[in-house]
Amino acid sequence: MTAVAPASAGRLLRIEIKRSAAVWALPLLAALFLYDPFRTASGYPAVWDVRASVVPNKMLSYFIPFTAAFAAWAGSREGRRRMADLVTSTAWPAWARQAAAFTATAALFVLPFLAGVAALYIQTARVVTWGGPPLWPVAVSVVTLTAVCAVGFTAGALFPGRFTTTLVTVGVSFVELVTFQESVSQSGPLALALLSPSTAVPPTDSGVFYPDAPDLAIVQVMFMAGIAIAALGVLALFKARGARQARTTAIAVVAAAVALAGTAVGLAATATHGVSGWDIPALHDAASDRPIPYTPVCAGTGLRVCMHPAFSYYLDDTAADLAPVAAEIAGLPGAPARGEEVDSVALASTGGNGVITGNRPVYQFSMNTMLDLSGFQETNFREILQQDLLDAFVAPSAARNAGVSDTPSYAPAQQAVVIALMRAVGSRPTSNSPFAYNSPINAQVAMAADRFAALPPAARHAWLITHLAALRAGLVTLAGIP
Amino acid sequence: MNIELTDLTRTFGRNRAVDGVTLTAETGVFGLLGPNGAGKTSLLRMLATVLPPSEGQVRLLGRNPKNVGERREIRRRLGYLPQNLGYYPAFTVVEFIEYFALLKEMPAKQVPKAVAAAVEKVDLGPKAKARLRTLSGGMLRRVGIAQAIVNDPELLLLDEPTAGLDPEQRVAFRALMRDLGQRGTVIVSTHLVEDVGAACSEVALMSDGKIVFRGTPAELTARGADHGVGDAPLERGYSAILAAARA
Repeated sequence: MTAVAPASAGRLLRIEIKRSAAVWALPLLAALFLYDPFRTASGYPAVWDVRASVVPNKMLSYFIPFTAAFAAWAGSREGRRRMADLVTSTAWPAWARQAAAFTATAALFVLPFLAGVAALYIQTARVVTWGGPPLWPVAVSVVTLTAVCAVGFTAGALFPGRFTTTLVTVGVSFVELVTFQESVSQSGPLALALLSPSTAVPPTDSGVFYPDAPDLAIVQVMFMAGIAIAALGVLALFKARGARQARTTAIAVVAAAVALAGTAVGLAATATHGVSGWDIPALHDAASDRPIPYTPVCAGTGLRVCMHPAFSYYLDDTAADLAPVAAEIAGLPGAPARGEEVDSVALASTGGNGVITGNRPVYQFSMNTMLDLSGFQETNFREILQQDLLDAFVAPSAARNAGVSDTPSYAPAQQAVVIALMRAVGSRPTSNSPFAYNSPINAQVAMAADRFAALPPAARHAWLITHLAALRAGLVTLAGIP
Repeated sequence: MNIELTDLTRTFGRNRAVDGVTLTAETGVFGLLGPNGAGKTSLLRMLATVLPPSEGQVRLLGRNPKNVGERREIRRRLGYLPQNLGYYPAFTVVEFIEYFALLKEMPAKQVPKAVAAAVEKVDLGPKAKARLRTLSGGMLRRVGIAQAIVNDPELLLLDEPTAGLDPEQRVAFRALMRDLGQRGTVIVSTHLVEDVGAACSEVALMSDGKIVFRGTPAELTARGADHGVGDAPLERGYSAILAAARA
């Protein structure tokens, strides 16, 4: 393929950008960005990975249909405007002319996208207490946007009909919707689900205790880059009619791009879930499986609570909220003197939402439970924290199962005691708790809890000292509660 | 010779739009006349290197357009105004002409001056910053002419260039064609025989894909001396030759 002068290319690009119809989409995209992705991220916990998840999940979803539509519109321009003869008679090769129009369209979506990411990250940087901005989601999103632009542009250029733009927009949006659902539900083939840049919102402590493995992001970039290059290669192939060398080059480029995308599919099929995210053996660096060293931040007097600095924003609240229930069980066998935040993945595999371990008992908990986006409410924070500690203390085996089973096997007496202790510190069991008053058995549990909560603190404490072992073993009945 | 065509043929299915045309042209303004469907536009498109010939040989500006490198050299020196001018409505006059100047690989530093000169030549100075969507048909035609001449082409192909121009503009454009014909080869395809009489040093008449007459406007006029159809002498010559060709 023959070269074009950079100075001319720059001037041409300037005209293309200045007069692109895509400019009209930008104010609407800006409004949508502020209304949803930016606002949503602002409501998420102040953790880089969590807030950055809106980049592929929400920002990209808004940008994709617009990018596809305006790319198809730009690609079909020469055909629609009957410019083919005029531009073909000029010296610039068709591929270079189309490349300028494509680059302008892509730039008009990619650059504002990056500006949105910058705004999001600047806002996030002001509130997070640890770590740095994740760049892989941005890279994947930018390459995806470029791929969508390439597909739309090529479709428009090859089929410059009046319905092309609509068909491309609907088609791309449909594919996006299907792959998004696949990626969230992972009900279809794993490779398909993983190749979608959209993901479920990551655990709150994602990228905090272990580095984010870039394996999957690399594969996604490979796949999307393959699609983008293949689409542009097909366009070059059709536009290079009569130029054998250009056609040969275009065919080679398309073949290489298809091979790249195919390799990505193959790699995604080998993915397994590990501590640092999705591991792909061929790309995996063992270093990303090693925990990130950190110095915990601590607070609290009765129960000393230590947390990862990424969550230091929540430290004082956590220590203050755990203190009353810790005081209720202080002095009892197995009562923790220290609370420690741990990695949610490791915790889920060993002890549900919280676990008390060690000879000098330490209560291990994860902020993922408290800040899980699906159920995160500031008003529940205190109740969830307290209840998880009491669950781990009163019903350790059931609490362990809670992390892996929908129907944990709490004994009714255990439920009643936890409810009573919660009430003693002025809290209520959370609505999503297995202790909620929503079944016949819970009515009896409630009565027992009422009785136990009505006892003087010293009497409750004395009863627990003598019956705690039996209670934990599930041997106490509701009638046995004073 | 700037144009050398040998047995040039272009078919569309069974239709021979251009049928064995052999033609040479040097510097000057060359008129191409003929009725609708005579093959003028197909011939111009082949000269513009847009349409490959089905058969025959083409050499333009001493180069063979079949060769990619030589074709690019031809296109750098080419100006082309198609019959149906497409345009990008959002572009301004200057941007549209600059766009084509760049596509014709003019050195970037020369482009602004060349664009300004082209705009002035077609008398669109006051509309230089107007969007194309706001222009009348005649003004758009002038924009088309400006983009064709912006690179000061050695070979200028104009398909119905004066269609839509008002009489004053048409007169000015004929002068421009004569001026351009001093330095290069200008091929003008037109239905308006007065354009040919006023601006062309040579003329060819096409009918059914063939060249049925080639000569000077005076020779064309002379052929119509004994023919009664047509208001002007050139028209009578035109009609006489066509009648003879059809006969």
